[in-house]
Amino acid sequence: MKKRFTRLLAMGIASLMAVSLAACGSSSSGSAGQTAGADSTVAANAGNGNVKTIKFFHRFPDDPANSFIEEKIAEYEAAHSDIDIVVTSAQNQPFKEKIKTVVGTPEEPDIYYSWAGEFSERFIRENLILDLTPYLEADSEWADSLIESQMVNYTTDDGMVYGIPFRLDGKVFAYNRDIFDELGLEVPTTWDEFLAVLDAIKADGTYTPLAEGNQDQWPGAHYIGTLNQMLVADDVRAADFNPKTGAFTDPGYVEALDKYQQLVPYMNIGVNGMTHDMARQLFTTGQAAMCYIELVEITNLYQETEGTEFNWGMFVFPTVEGAGNPNILTGEPEGFVVSANTAYPDECVEFLKWFLGPEVGAQQAEVVGWFNASKGVADNLEDEGLREAYDLIMNAEAMGPWFDASLYSTVCEEYLQQISNVTNGDISSADAMAKIQATALEAQTLAAE
Amino acid sequence: MKKKKVKKSLYLYIVPGLFMVMAFVYVPIITNIVYSFFRLSSYSSSMKFVAFNNYRRLFTNDTFPVMMRNNIYYCIISLIVQVGFGTVIALVLESKLVGKLNSFYRNVYFIPSLISLTAVGLMFNFIYNPTAGMLNGFLKTIGQPDLQQIWLGDKKLAIFCIIAMSQWQYTGYIAMLMIVAFQNVSMDYVEAAIIDGAGPIRRAISVYIPLAKEQLLVCSVITVIGAFKLFTEVYTTTSGGPGDASQVLGLFLYQNAFLHDDMGMAAATGVLIFVITVTLSIIQLRITRSGQD
Repeated sequence: MKKRFTRLLAMGIASLMAVSLAACGSSSSGSAGQTAGADSTVAANAGNGNVKTIKFFHRFPDDPANSFIEEKIAEYEAAHSDIDIVVTSAQNQPFKEKIKTVVGTPEEPDIYYSWAGEFSERFIRENLILDLTPYLEADSEWADSLIESQMVNYTTDDGMVYGIPFRLDGKVFAYNRDIFDELGLEVPTTWDEFLAVLDAIKADGTYTPLAEGNQDQWPGAHYIGTLNQMLVADDVRAADFNPKTGAFTDPGYVEALDKYQQLVPYMNIGVNGMTHDMARQLFTTGQAAMCYIELVEITNLYQETEGTEFNWGMFVFPTVEGAGNPNILTGEPEGFVVSANTAYPDECVEFLKWFLGPEVGAQQAEVVGWFNASKGVADNLEDEGLREAYDLIMNAEAMGPWFDASLYSTVCEEYLQQISNVTNGDISSADAMAKIQATALEAQTLAAE
Repeated sequence: MKKKKVKKSLYLYIVPGLFMVMAFVYVPIITNIVYSFFRLSSYSSSMKFVAFNNYRRLFTNDTFPVMMRNNIYYCIISLIVQVGFGTVIALVLESKLVGKLNSFYRNVYFIPSLISLTAVGLMFNFIYNPTAGMLNGFLKTIGQPDLQQIWLGDKKLAIFCIIAMSQWQYTGYIAMLMIVAFQNVSMDYVEAAIIDGAGPIRRAISVYIPLAKEQLLVCSVITVIGAFKLFTEVYTTTSGGPGDASQVLGLFLYQNAFLHDDMGMAAATGVLIFVITVTLSIIQLRITRSGQD
């Protein structure tokens, strides 16, 4: 009997070890990253021991952005022999997870990418991000060179500037001009006109009116974010974005889901079964007439349509009448923050001044097709699409935050799931909103803890 | 029974190993249990004691029954297909039916389990793609367009699509493990059975399977544990969607830890997975009375 028990115990422990080992394995699979950057300057300086190592973590591992960043960093290192910048990068989703595991630890990067709003503010609450306000006050030339409207998002309510934009963005409908010409359609400016255009394309039957892929759940959130801006008053949304007061009881939120649901029949089949990139390819291959894209995706449009006569244009989300503000352009600048724990805060800021400044910015606009927040970076651009994109951002009354990045974590999860369910027609807008309200209520107590 | 005397100094040799196991397995498990009573995030320095609140939130979560159901589906289907069907494949491959092609088939079945899970996930994303995917394309080609589905985007089908992917990958692996066990069965028994007039099926049921019982148990323990720590397959395809339709415990744990800044909830989920797998393993061992011949 005793022997049997011992064996049982041994087997139990063995299986327990299997579980824990497996757990180790799975957590590392999310951290697909890549390292680059050790170079000749390090070797040159290895002797004098004064090299300051700055760890730099970004989320743009695809070309042309990746090689542009590496090139610029090598340039900076060549000009500053005492600085060694070690670059790591990860794709969007792994980045979100990886950054949270390193912030606050000795492995923390000195400079890292971070979304504006709640994503960064959770770190600010723990005093993990460097306050850049004193640096901007000390260097008025630098402060003046940045576009004010784009700095708002990286400023907290009490005026602390914590990040500098690397790329500006905005959400627009890209449309296929050839399809519009063929069917004799005009660019819509109101919701009714938009529905009429969608109806006309659908009635013709040759093309999918709207390309959309919501497998990763954020693309749907971008529609809802924009609709909420038009249908819910600014102050109500601001209160709801604060996890301690968020209730999401405004009827505008239900209406936004309703409006979105109205669009679903015009989308390609299997919206929840494909990623946004796959859906965009329906658009770039001429199968779909429109796609709701980010301005930073113009680079992808060019890549995907290289060598073809692809004739496209863009228009902002058609106006929906409601309690909100129709002149907000959805899309937030995305940029870099400096760790509060860095050993070299001055050096980090000095590097960012140059890296996110007008000189590199102009090259970046040319090479990558992304604009930073320095004034005048698009002055010498020849590409029409990019110029139009830049003007759209510059002329926007205000920028709307990325909806998913501004929600408290649990509310975000629930909201994205419900948008996914609404897309599939599995739930009514009112029921979906009721579930989100319940989660928001629970989040109020969680946030207060 | 005479006891062999063991030199005390010999125990010293297990100290390094014991230390490693303690440091990397048992200490983390205990820390995890402690964390499950706190509210904390991966980057915050403060933690707040919340008693059983994490467990209450876990069990009352709307997603909880969905996750349990999905993990149980995975477990049952895997036991039937991977262990059941895998054993049948092993028996067939060990029989004289396949002749010289034996090793060829063995490789064919085994190769899928060598491919990285992430790669398999990406590959199946393409296969299941509703507009450009291979599966819908195939259904159209064979003249059955009505059978076309949205697969991973369909609330009812998503989890089964993921389960199917795993069966494709691991049935051959279990078959391989069983082949090894069947090869260890002494030919004396097999020949005795043949002399007694037992046909191939009779031999499988009365000779091969009883003698490979231990291996069959190991295979089912691996499969059951695998079912409850399911993660990568879901992570690389649906991330739990659409809605929460394909959510599973492992992914829920991960998302709480690294997306929702809720390490305490993740720890509580980890404890639950641990309790489930240990309990199921013990039950399985009891049922088969392992080690009692």
